[in-house]
Amino acid sequence: MDTLKIERIGGFAGFGLPGSKLRSTGEQAMSALSPADQATVEALFRNPKGAQGTGHERDAFRYRITRTVKGKDQTVEVAESAVPPALKACVSDKLM
Amino acid sequence: MCFACQIVPQDVLRRFSKDRSLDEEQRKHFTDTLKIDTELRKLRDQAAKLTRIASAIAPTTALAAVAPAPAVTVFDCNHNQTLPGAQVPNPGTSSDVVAKRVFTETTSVAAFYSQVFGRNSIDGAGMTMISSIHYGINYNNAFWNGTQMTYGDGDGSIFVDFSRGNDVIGHELTHGVTQHSLQLNYANEAGGLNESMSDCFGSMFRQWEARQTVSQADWLIGKDIMGPAAISRGFSCLRDMANPAAKHCLAPQPTKFKQYKAGMDPHLSSGIPNLAFYSVAKAVGGNSWDKAGQIWYRAMTGFGPSPNMKMKAFANRTRAVAAQLYPGNTAVAGAVDTGWKKVGL
Repeated sequence: MDTLKIERIGGFAGFGLPGSKLRSTGEQAMSALSPADQATVEALFRNPKGAQGTGHERDAFRYRITRTVKGKDQTVEVAESAVPPALKACVSDKLM
Repeated sequence: MCFACQIVPQDVLRRFSKDRSLDEEQRKHFTDTLKIDTELRKLRDQAAKLTRIASAIAPTTALAAVAPAPAVTVFDCNHNQTLPGAQVPNPGTSSDVVAKRVFTETTSVAAFYSQVFGRNSIDGAGMTMISSIHYGINYNNAFWNGTQMTYGDGDGSIFVDFSRGNDVIGHELTHGVTQHSLQLNYANEAGGLNESMSDCFGSMFRQWEARQTVSQADWLIGKDIMGPAAISRGFSCLRDMANPAAKHCLAPQPTKFKQYKAGMDPHLSSGIPNLAFYSVAKAVGGNSWDKAGQIWYRAMTGFGPSPNMKMKAFANRTRAVAAQLYPGNTAVAGAVDTGWKKVGL
């Protein structure tokens, strides 16, 4: 329940797309985040539609964040600009 | 202060800024973010309004011709993620090779659009071309944010500095041109067309700088930003316009319209119009920008906004434009028709 799974997708190179050889993933314990970042993450899950960027971004990364609540996975996909730096820092890029 | 929080809903920021269960420093953090967020929203609204107005009163050809060449500015993020960063003074003579390269290549893209297509900058009216470099740490991306270009340094393993690819620079700037002309959305078929425009004009720019004919060009996207780890695994590019499904691509793409699915990411579906453009240019021969490029440019900029355009509609528009620009030239008309039929459009 405490662990957030994060995947960085898209960008100019197309990370995480079907057939792509590029993946960018990571995990982060929610409890290890600052209270402010925890509050931001809660806000993202509460209202992901409010975290979709300006609409004019092209080739920008997006972040898929998954948490488990009462045995069920909840996933949101949001713009990079909405993600706290501590979460962005936990992903690493890999060649598949 | 957290610029990352800029698009968390304002009511949420306001609530946290007054939440007594948070300590004073945290409440101040949300209060500060709320202030920044308010100003950024005004800025974004203004930018959107400016795009609409500029589009509605697009300059006549004569006015565009006498407008001065666009200013080119470069900013240094110094490995942070706050845009635009600190302005680089005199980037054309900077000791920072990245700043110098981005200035030089952005100036060259401006010359490409001006000399080949008669367009003055991104908006056709001399808009300043703003770039930020050294964005983030080991950042494997380049992007257009609606008002400017941004380049990461790459991680040095999978990718090197993204500004090393002149097609990358042409690609990102073309997103701005699309925003100020056809105004394609970034989802579904319009999204694929949007990405393809950037690949087509990015590739043409790379060929134009190298003075390559369609036969001499390699038609690869992202070849010059591939890092040692990717090259050692046999990957020579991100995408291949001549063979979008090729194994040497880090991000292979579909080649037929029948493979398209609603909601497909633009970086996948763009393979379909990319292959069509390659096929047309190759069949016409010579320089890609002389005829095929002129047809694509007119189809992109000559008809006003069409945000939800379908690929079939764009294909048919290029057929019509080919007949207008090159009346009686059956070779060009046949090349355009055959190129689209090859991908099922």
